Amino acid sequence: MAAPLELSCWGGGWGLPSVHSESLVVMAYAKFSGAPLKVNVIDNTWRGSRGDVPILTTEDNIVSQPAKILNFLRKQKYNADYELSAKQGADTLAYIALIEEKLLPAVLHTFWVESDNYFTVTKPWFASRIPFPLSLILPGRMSKGALNRILLTRGEPPLYHLREVEAQIYRDAKECLNLLSNRLGTSQFFFGDTPSTLDAYVFGFLAPLYKVRFPKVQLQEHLKQLSNLCRFCDDILNSYFRLSLGECTVTYWNFTLWMCI
Amino acid sequence: AAEPWPENATLYQQLKGEQILLSDNAASLAVQAFLQMCNLPIKVVCRANAEYMSPSGKVPFIHVGNQVVSELGPIVQFVKAKGHSLSDGLDEVQKAEMKAYMELVNNMLLTAELYLQWCDEATVGEITHARYGSPYPWPLNHILAYQKQWEVKRKMKAIGWGNKTLDQVLEDVDQCCQALSQRLGTQPYFFN
Repeated sequence: MAAPLELSCWGGGWGLPSVHSESLVVMAYAKFSGAPLKVNVIDNTWRGSRGDVPILTTEDNIVSQPAKILNFLRKQKYNADYELSAKQGADTLAYIALIEEKLLPAVLHTFWVESDNYFTVTKPWFASRIPFPLSLILPGRMSKGALNRILLTRGEPPLYHLREVEAQIYRDAKECLNLLSNRLGTSQFFFGDTPSTLDAYVFGFLAPLYKVRFPKVQLQEHLKQLSNLCRFCDDILNSYFRLSLGECTVTYWNFTLWMCI
Repeated sequence: AAEPWPENATLYQQLKGEQILLSDNAASLAVQAFLQMCNLPIKVVCRANAEYMSPSGKVPFIHVGNQVVSELGPIVQFVKAKGHSLSDGLDEVQKAEMKAYMELVNNMLLTAELYLQWCDEATVGEITHARYGSPYPWPLNHILAYQKQWEVKRKMKAIGWGNKTLDQVLEDVDQCCQALSQRLGTQPYFFN
């Protein structure tokens, strides 16, 4: 318990502690469960690998992938699902599967595949945080990885063409957002008054979609119409991620620098 | 869409005895169960090339009137358009839960089955290769089996299952089954 827990992840922007969904899931869970996490934002150094981020390092363990990291934290007694019944635990798994199947492809598409978004927002943001010359290679590789994942899981043989798949994945994502909104209703969190794993996952996937300014915004527009989901994201940001003054200044400078580029 | 369900509706799948694999059998059973629960008659026909006959490349698919629909999701929608539905009595929250649990089963169990069939060397060697290519002559049986294996491995890698060990996959399956068991409780069906 005394061993320091360090999380390496992508940094923040647009009011978010991180713009990378999976990093955000882990950060949110850590806040909810009270785990003392030292966040190491990946910046312009050569240190560390970037492929598997987020990565949790302790004295003798290196854990990657959000699901494994959350499991590890639970074993260390940082459990945000303590008060959930068994059925609610089962619901959590089911809704996470729903998000990964239905929402994730469209989020990946919005960030990494839609050319206007990718070239004006995503690529410059990530490239500015990766040292040259990796900055020329890594964003492209991440984009191809996202496209691959979309086509392999949703594309239909023998064509595997993006056009046919795009309409379907956005339809599915909008339906998923509607379902999440229906499930949340007017409660503060998905299972009562305290946040749990499911809240961390929903926040992790929804917050970047909600906050990042994109040119092509069809999914974002749909999300903004679901006011309870927007309120959910804002509540968590205000309660758990209120930036200290120092961080505020740093973010402001980062933002102005980014605007100048 | 307003036509009644014809008597000669057929469901196509691969050969039951020698060819069909666990994951495809599961999908086919799901569709058959769904149609039985809706009281719609369906005849099951086994064809060696069912996978290639299907419009989306996946089995099973049904041939109703002059339309061909494949995979459980689209089939449920198609049947709904004809006026038969099993989930009319559910409210919005329950429908959301139902969809979420369906995705859980798809995401975990189906992927685990695919992993076991195509990425676990022992199973591949003993069962999958032999069964998948059985209706075809040499060397087509080997080529098709290897091609399918390559496709499945690519997909596993894309979704992050490429590095999972067998034990981790079995753990995931266990977790999923526990969740389903919790949700079912002592009721006869999941939502009543």
